[in-house]
Amino acid sequence: MNILVVLAVVAAFGLLRFGRVSLLVWAGAWWVGIYVLLRFGFTAPIPASVVSLYMGIVSIAILAYVSSSQERRDEISRPLVRFMTDKRYTAFLAATVVAIPALAAANVYVQMNVPLQPPLFSRTVHPASPSEITVHDKKIDLDAGENPFRHLEASSPTEFRTHVENGRKVYYRNCVFCHGDNLAGNGMFVHGLDPIPTNFTDKGTLPMLRETFLFWRIAKGGPGLPEEGGPWDTAMPAWEKFLKEEEMWEAILFLYDSTGQRPRAKEEAAK
Amino acid sequence: MTSRVMRAAAISSGCLAFLIALLCAVLTGSARAAGPNMGTEAQRESGKKLYLTYCSQCHGDAGDGEGYAASRLYPRPRNFTTGKFKVRTTPNGALPTHEDLVNIIKRGMPYTSMPAWPSLSDGQLSDLAYFITTFSPDFSDPEKAPKTVSLPGAPKSTKESIEQGKKLYAETGCDGCHGTLGRGDGPSAPTLVDDWGHPIRPADLTQRWTFRGGSSREDIFRTLSTGLNGTPMPSFLDALKDEERWAMTDFIDSLSESHDPGYTDLVVARHVLDPIDLTKGTAYFESARVARFPIIGQITEPVREFHPPTTSVTVQAIYDTESIALLVRWHDMSAQKTGKNGPSLPVPPEEEEGAPAPAAAGGAQAVTDPFAEEQPAPAAQASEFSDAVSIQVPSQVPTGARKPYFIFGDAQNSVDLWFFDLARPDPVQFTGRGSGNIAPNDTGDLTGVASYDQGEWSVIFKRPLRATSGAPFSPGQFMPIAFSVWDGLSRERGNRRGLTVWYSLYVEPETVPSAVGPMVKTALLILAIELAVIGWVRWRYGSRTRGEFGGKPTQPAATRA
Ligand code: HEC
Ligand code: HEC
Ligand code: HEC
Repeated sequence: MNILVVLAVVAAFGLLRFGRVSLLVWAGAWWVGIYVLLRFGFTAPIPASVVSLYMGIVSIAILAYVSSSQERRDEISRPLVRFMTDKRYTAFLAATVVAIPALAAANVYVQMNVPLQPPLFSRTVHPASPSEITVHDKKIDLDAGENPFRHLEASSPTEFRTHVENGRKVYYRNCVFCHGDNLAGNGMFVHGLDPIPTNFTDKGTLPMLRETFLFWRIAKGGPGLPEEGGPWDTAMPAWEKFLKEEEMWEAILFLYDSTGQRPRAKEEAAK
Repeated sequence: MTSRVMRAAAISSGCLAFLIALLCAVLTGSARAAGPNMGTEAQRESGKKLYLTYCSQCHGDAGDGEGYAASRLYPRPRNFTTGKFKVRTTPNGALPTHEDLVNIIKRGMPYTSMPAWPSLSDGQLSDLAYFITTFSPDFSDPEKAPKTVSLPGAPKSTKESIEQGKKLYAETGCDGCHGTLGRGDGPSAPTLVDDWGHPIRPADLTQRWTFRGGSSREDIFRTLSTGLNGTPMPSFLDALKDEERWAMTDFIDSLSESHDPGYTDLVVARHVLDPIDLTKGTAYFESARVARFPIIGQITEPVREFHPPTTSVTVQAIYDTESIALLVRWHDMSAQKTGKNGPSLPVPPEEEEGAPAPAAAGGAQAVTDPFAEEQPAPAAQASEFSDAVSIQVPSQVPTGARKPYFIFGDAQNSVDLWFFDLARPDPVQFTGRGSGNIAPNDTGDLTGVASYDQGEWSVIFKRPLRATSGAPFSPGQFMPIAFSVWDGLSRERGNRRGLTVWYSLYVEPETVPSAVGPMVKTALLILAIELAVIGWVRWRYGSRTRGEFGGKPTQPAATRA
């Protein structure tokens, strides 16, 4: 939530409350207030179509409320009628009558001139992995499996470091062009890639994934993704074509080591 | 007083080296600006740690440019032991200043694998720069302490200065390397090598975003003034006066159409009235918007290309009642019009490693005097592989999100390849079902022409909108489209090529609907509703106030509308 916006809306409501404004103003205020909250109140923006859906519901609710008793109907219609009949407001009324169609026409113009956009398709970034894959004629269990070098971290730290260093070599000879020098997904070819390569320094990526999941993604790459993952666009190579199985596990060690992150444990990743 | 506190602190931390360095710093104080500036022991130590984490994989533990990633990078990572640095504010051949090093590490070098390091703090950058000075003995030589050249501020760029720069450009001999139009295609371009013996291409001056040292006018002026050490690109500090170098800068500045490449993801095919006639060439495409797509190395399928010389293509499209035509252009240092090429030519895996093919034979000597009156153009050699280009479209219009795999399709979803081996007169068609499964599919539908002029390939493909095989192009529809470029000189063929991912082609309907009609309609409709409501309200409630209106029914809105 965007606290500032929420506070501003609440403050405006407070002011109106003290000002003892009419029901018409209240109805308008609720409409505008909720719109502002939907549009600007959330840090992650809500899609325009969803906003208009909510606003439709809000409009109906407000209409239902103001027309629910004769008293309210009168309270709403009185100022409106006065606006439309009272001589004092004639100029105002004329301006409003012209302004509304003009705004609507402008809206039509804007909608017809939206810049041409190629069709966009959403894709699932982390689709569920299969439970078993075959890499270099060897079956690898992704559900129960583990990185074969992970246990060395505790039992034989020096040996573990060797594997991390090997992983580093694999990374800088193969992955750096896309995933970048500091693993932030900004290699020298990113300007020509869509979707863009994963940023491994992002706190919400590596720690959320199991090492076997990464192994699947690395071994099978873009072509190995299921339908919802969009295998036709991502340039992520199927590394089984280039690397030995150990090299892929070592690259994974390096990814975690270099970014100072921990893989997700097996229990946490209950499917 | 302070020095005693500092001394005490240093001793208590038991770091003698640190103490000595500090004392040196205090004692030499002002004198240092003139002498070597290599930082303190502590700074270099901290720099070393950072270097071994972030830089050594490319530049090597010993700073010799032979890190384990190096064999796949081009230009090669810099060998720091030679003390040669491209981007400096110091005279040709001189060492860079500390600030020069900090700046270039921070900014990186565009279109090379030398990344920008915005994530490192100023202190870390400074430590790294100090550490790098330890690789070359030159930095500790007081005789060689760098002095900056004077780089006066920029005068305003004017029509006259650009004209003057243009004249100087030819007079000074830039065109010998950079080509008449600045496309990097001068006669000696294919023969150039850098000081480490690797072939090097003159910059494409019409694509300033690729400049290694940055693309602002100040950057260009600095490059012209100080040259790029270790490369054939000379310094013009002595040959040209300040104003002349600024004029030249303005000229180069004017060569790129924009500051940024302006990469897009969409090319729009515009309808033309006259039937498309290939003999009319590129002039026909003038009405069509230019789309620039980035080209990257094909590094997804074996055998990979890590450093394609082509960095982008521009594409324009038109269509008439019968056919669609696409014009694809890109800059190429030299045209390879002999030899062969093909989308599925095999490449031995060894070719992945190492720098691109050596410069044309006898090149190194040919450029010892770049300002020689007559540049003997290197004899046109028969190349083994020709230049080539292809357009890729799905064989069937995709119905949903599912497209064929972007590298030559896949088993379920094939692609049509419009392939033009530029050693041949005509393009041919292939059907791609993956890199390993490409078959000729020549229906004779595809025609085309290609020409090479002043460093630029212009290739036109033409195909019926509805061909005997392949997806139809229909107005108002988007079609996925992708491109590949092969540079024969770099021995690119088959999978070793530059490519794009999927982008879109939009066939713009012949008449774009005007917004005026719907706008007027909407406005009138709303106005009518308003007037009806107001009229009703006045009729219904107006009786109470009718006296006020006094029989003159004001209808301001109606009169205005
Ligand atoms: C040609 C560019 C390219 C290269 C080279 C490349 N990748 Fe990727 N990679 C991508 C792209 C693009 C994505 C994001 C789209 C996707 O998920 O497929 C990605 C995604 C990934 C993912 C999935 C992360 C996630 O969040 O699910 C992993 C793991 C990965 N890459 C590891 C590697 C490793 C290890 C290497 C080197 C051995 C490598 N990549 C080389 C382009 C590349
Ligand atoms: C992925 C490989 C790679 C990495 C990592 C890398 N560099 Fe470079 N670096 C290069 C290449 C390639 C060049 C040469 C570019 C050229 O000559 O156009 C270069 C050039 C340089 C130069 C010379 C600039 C000049 O003006 O000539 C310096 C200084 C430099 N790098 C410092 C660093 C430092 C410091 C780091 C670590 C923070 C680093 N590099 C990391 C590839 C790399
Ligand atoms: C002997 C050949 C040669 C001549 C003559 C020459 N250049 Fe260059 N120039 C090069 C090469 C090679 C490069 C590319 C260096 C690199 O990639 O590191 C280059 C690069 C450049 C760049 C880009 C700098 C950057 O930051 O990447 C500019 C601008 C430039 N030259 C302008 C000129 C101008 C103007 C002249 C004439 C006054 C000129 N050059 C004369 C060979 C030459």
